[in-house]
Amino acid sequence: MTTTIAGRTRKVRRGYGRVALAFLAPAIVVLVLVRLVPAASALYGSLTRSSLLTGQTRFVGWENYAELLGNPDFRGAVGVTVLFTLIINPLQVAIAFALAVLFTRRLAGVRWWRSLVILPIAVPPAVSAVVWNVIYRPDDGLANAVLSVLGLPPQPFLTSPDQALAAVIVLLSWVGVGYWMLFLIAGINDVPGELYEAAALDGAGPWRKFFHITLPMCRRPLAFVLVADTVSNLLVFAPVQMLTGGGPEGATNLLMYDIYTRAYTLGDLGRAQAEVVVLVLLTVVIVAAQFRMLRGDSEGA
Amino acid sequence: MSPRRTRLPLTVLAAAVGILFAIPLLWVLTNSLRPGAETFGSISPLSWETFLTLTPNVDNYAALAGTSLGRGILNSIIVSVATVAVGLVICAMAAFALAALPFRGRSAVFSVIVLSFLIPFDAIAIPLADVFRTWNLQNTFTGLVLPGLGNGMAVFLLRQFFLAVPEDLAEAARLDGLGWWGIFSRIYAPLARPAMIGAALMLFLFQWQAYVWPLLIGTDSEHILGPVALANMQGQFNVDYGLMFAGAVVLIAVPLLIILTLQRYFIQSVTTSGLK
Amino acid sequence: MIPRTPHARFVAAAAVVTSGALALAACSSTPETPSTDEATPSTINLLGPEDPATFAPLIEGFEAEHEGYSVEYTQVPFDQLNSTLQQRLGAEDSTIDLYTVDQPRVAQLAAQGYLVDLTDLAGEAQEVMSPTMYDVNVIDEQMWAASIWDSTQLMFYNVDALAAAGVEPPSSDPAERWTWEQTVAAAEQVQAAGETEWGLILEQIEYYYQLQPLMASLGGGSGITGEDALTADITNDAWVEAMTWYGDLFADGLAPRGVGSFETSPIFADGESAFFVGGPWDVGVFSESETNWAVAPMPYFDGGEQVTPTGSWSWGINPASQNQAAALLFLEYATLNPEGNLLSTQATTIIPANAEAAAEYLPQLEELAGDRSAGVADLITYELENTALARPLTVGYVQFEEVMNTAFADIRNGSDPAERLAEATTQLEDAWSQLR
Repeated sequence: MTTTIAGRTRKVRRGYGRVALAFLAPAIVVLVLVRLVPAASALYGSLTRSSLLTGQTRFVGWENYAELLGNPDFRGAVGVTVLFTLIINPLQVAIAFALAVLFTRRLAGVRWWRSLVILPIAVPPAVSAVVWNVIYRPDDGLANAVLSVLGLPPQPFLTSPDQALAAVIVLLSWVGVGYWMLFLIAGINDVPGELYEAAALDGAGPWRKFFHITLPMCRRPLAFVLVADTVSNLLVFAPVQMLTGGGPEGATNLLMYDIYTRAYTLGDLGRAQAEVVVLVLLTVVIVAAQFRMLRGDSEGA
Repeated sequence: MSPRRTRLPLTVLAAAVGILFAIPLLWVLTNSLRPGAETFGSISPLSWETFLTLTPNVDNYAALAGTSLGRGILNSIIVSVATVAVGLVICAMAAFALAALPFRGRSAVFSVIVLSFLIPFDAIAIPLADVFRTWNLQNTFTGLVLPGLGNGMAVFLLRQFFLAVPEDLAEAARLDGLGWWGIFSRIYAPLARPAMIGAALMLFLFQWQAYVWPLLIGTDSEHILGPVALANMQGQFNVDYGLMFAGAVVLIAVPLLIILTLQRYFIQSVTTSGLK
Repeated sequence: MIPRTPHARFVAAAAVVTSGALALAACSSTPETPSTDEATPSTINLLGPEDPATFAPLIEGFEAEHEGYSVEYTQVPFDQLNSTLQQRLGAEDSTIDLYTVDQPRVAQLAAQGYLVDLTDLAGEAQEVMSPTMYDVNVIDEQMWAASIWDSTQLMFYNVDALAAAGVEPPSSDPAERWTWEQTVAAAEQVQAAGETEWGLILEQIEYYYQLQPLMASLGGGSGITGEDALTADITNDAWVEAMTWYGDLFADGLAPRGVGSFETSPIFADGESAFFVGGPWDVGVFSESETNWAVAPMPYFDGGEQVTPTGSWSWGINPASQNQAAALLFLEYATLNPEGNLLSTQATTIIPANAEAAAEYLPQLEELAGDRSAGVADLITYELENTALARPLTVGYVQFEEVMNTAFADIRNGSDPAERLAEATTQLEDAWSQLR
C-alpha cells in the first residue's frame, strides 16, 4: 500500500500534499468504505420502497419519513429513547462525578475500592446482558434473592413495563459509571491544589469547596462526558435485543432496536433506512459538539 | 484533608460502593467454577455460598473447547488482533500526515476525518451490512475487521502526540536522506509509544466489545464472534449455565487483563482523548 | 443438540436487498425442474439451522449410497437463518444448492422466486407423506419444497407429583382428552399441595406455533383471513378469550414469566412443573431426567374443537444453484426415501415426514424412555391423523409470526389482551402493506 511513498516524495519539494495524501490514503479508503458509502446508501434507500414479493424498488421521495411520523411503533420508540436519554445520562454523569469526588479523597484503601468500580468497564455489552438476565430472572434470579434477604417483595424487573427500562439503565450503568468516572477523576486531579489551600485559609467547608472550586473547575470534563455518554447511550442495542425484545409493551423499544426489527424482522428496509438517517443526523449533531470540545481543548493545550 | 469525623463514614461508603460494583463479577466467576446445574440452586436461599465456592473446578473452561462459544472466543481474538495490527498502521499514518506534513486544507481534512470516524459506527451498521452483503463480505474475516480499522479517537490521540515531536528532528532526518516513511516509522512512531499503545487499546476494545456488527455480518459457525456466540446460548434448550459463565469470564478477563497491564496507557489515552 | 424445530424465536427475516438482482430473480420465469438423471457426482451445499450432528448420519448414508457425491453442510443460527437466506438468495448466490425452509415460509419464498418448482415430485410425495405434510409445500397446485420432518404436541405430566397431590392423572387415550379447564384445576391442586413450583407450562411459551391451537379450539381461526390471506382477524371473541386464559396462566402463577421459550423444558425435567405441553423432541430430553413422567393428549377448551400444532421443516432447492440435479438427488433421498428420511431422525427425536419412516421410527420413540414414554407412538399417530392443524399459508407469514410473538410476550407479562390484539392488527396492516 505504501511502498512507493518514499520514492515519490523525493520529487515533491514544495508542499507535502501528495505525501500527505499517500499517508492518508488507507484511512480515507476505510472512511469511504465504512462511513460514506453506507451513509449514502441509507440516504438513497430511505427514499425508496421495495415490494417484498416482486423485489421491485420504486422511488417514493419523503414518503417513508412521512409514514414513520405517523407510525405508532416509531413514535413509541422515539418517546422511549427520549425518556431513556433524559434519565440515564444525567444519572450516570452525576453518579460518576460523585464517585470521582469520593475516590479522589484520601481514604483508607481508596485506590483499591476505586479499581473495583472500574473493573466492570471491561465487560462487553453482550456479556453484561447475559449476566444481568440471570440476575433479573423474576423467580430464581439473584436480584430477588437479595431483596428477599432484605425483607422486600420480589420484583418483576424485565417482565414489567414499569420496571424494564429502569432495569436496563441499571445494567448499563454498572459498566458505564466506572468508565466515565475515569475522565472525571482526571479532571478533578487537574484542579490546582492551591485553590483548595486558599479556600481552606478562608475557612471554607467541604461543601463550599465542592461548589466553588471542584464543580466549576470540572465543567469541561463534565460537559465532555455528558456529550460522549449521550452518544453512546443513543446506540444501546445488545441488552434490548437479548433481554426484552423491546418490550414489555414497547417499554424498552429504543431507536436502535426499532431499526433492527424494522429492517430484519419486518423486512421494511426503506423505512428502516429512513430511521437510520434520523439517528445518524441526531448523533452527528451531538458528535459535532463533542468534537468542538476536543478541538477547543487541543488548541488550549 | 477530610475532617476526622467524616473520614470513617466516607471510607465505609467507598468500600461499599466498590464491593457493590464488584459483586456481580465475583458471582460470575464463582458460577463459572461450579457445575451449571448448581447455578440457581446456589442463589436461593442467599448465603455466602452464592458468591463463593469451596469446591472450584475448571471443567466448564475445559468444556469450552469444541463449542461454538469456544470457537467464537478464538475468532474474537483473531479479529481483534488483526484489527489492531492493521488499524494501528492506518491510524498512525493518517495522524502523521495530519501532524507532521503541512499541506493546504490540513485542518479541514483533519476535521472531516476525525469527525466522520467519531460518528458512532453502530448507527450505520445496518446499511453497511447491506452494502457488504452485496460485495459478498458476509461471513468473512475481512468483513468483520474492516469497520474497526479507522478510529477517530485513535487518530486524534496519535496526532496529539505527533504534534509534540519537534520539527527539527524530521528536518535533520531528511537531510540524512531518510524518506517520509522512514521518518514516520523510525522517528515518530517510536517517540509516540505511549499513544501507540493507547490507540492499540482503543482499536482492540472496539472490536472485542462489538456486538451489532458481528451479529449482522458474521453469522456462520466459522466466523461467529464470542459475544454473539454467548448471546446465542441464551434461549436455547437446556442452557449450560456453567459453560455460559465460563465463556463470560473469558470474554471479560481478556480485556480486563490487558487494561490492567496497560493501565497507565489506558488512563492516559482515555483522559488525553477526552480532555486535553 | 435438540432440534430447534418448528418454532420461531425472534424470527429474523426478510431483509431484502434493494438491488436489481432481486427484481430479476423474482421476475424471471419459473425455472425448469431439474431431473436426477442429469446428476453427476459432485459436492452439494446444504444450508440450515440445525447442529451439524443432526444431519451427519443422513449425509453419511447418502454418500455411501451415491458414490462420488459429497455434501457440505453449513449451519446458520436460527435467528439469522431467514435474513441470511433473504440476502444470499436475493443476490443469486450459487453456493447454496439446497436449504431448509420453515414450512409456513414456503409461500413467501416461492412468491419471491427463491424456490425451484418441484411439482414433478408431487405424485410421489403425495404417496409417501400424510396429506398435511404434502399440502404445506403446495401453492396453487405447484409443489415448492419437500417435507423432511413433522411435529405435534403432547402433554407431559409429573406422575409422582400428581399422585402425591391426589390428582387422578389424565389418560393417554385421545377419547378421554382433558380440557384446559380440567388441566388448570388439576395443576392448581398439585401446586397447592406444594408438590411442584409451577402448574402448567406450554413449551414454546410465547410463540404462535404453540398458541395457535388455543384460539383455534375456541373457533377463532388462524388469525389470517381474506382472499389474499393478508387480512388480520385476531380481535374476535375467541382470540380475546383464549388470550385472556393465556394471560391468566401467568397472572395466577401457574406458569413463570421471564423464562424464554427454549428454557422451559429444564423446569419440567427438574420436576418443577405438574404439566408440560411439549414436542416429541422432549421425549428424548426427558428420557435423560430423573423425573417420573407420562404423556397424555394436548388438552382443548371445554366445548371447543380438538386441535394440535403440527408442521416442521421442508427442504427446497435454490434456483441460482448450478448443481440442481444433484441437489434434487439428495433432497429425494432425505425426504421421499424412507431409509434416508429415517436417518435424519437418528441423532434427534423428531418425527420423520415420510410415512414409512415414521412407522418404523415411532416404536423406537415409544421405547426411548421405557415405561414413561408408553403410549407415545399411538398418541402421535392419532394426533397427526386427526387433530393436526397447520399454520396458515400466507405470503405474509414472516411478519405475522413476528408481530404475534411480540404480542403474546406482552400479554404474558400482563397486557390487556383485547387492546394488545387491536394494536397488533395495526402493526400487521402496516407490515403487510409492502406485500401488496
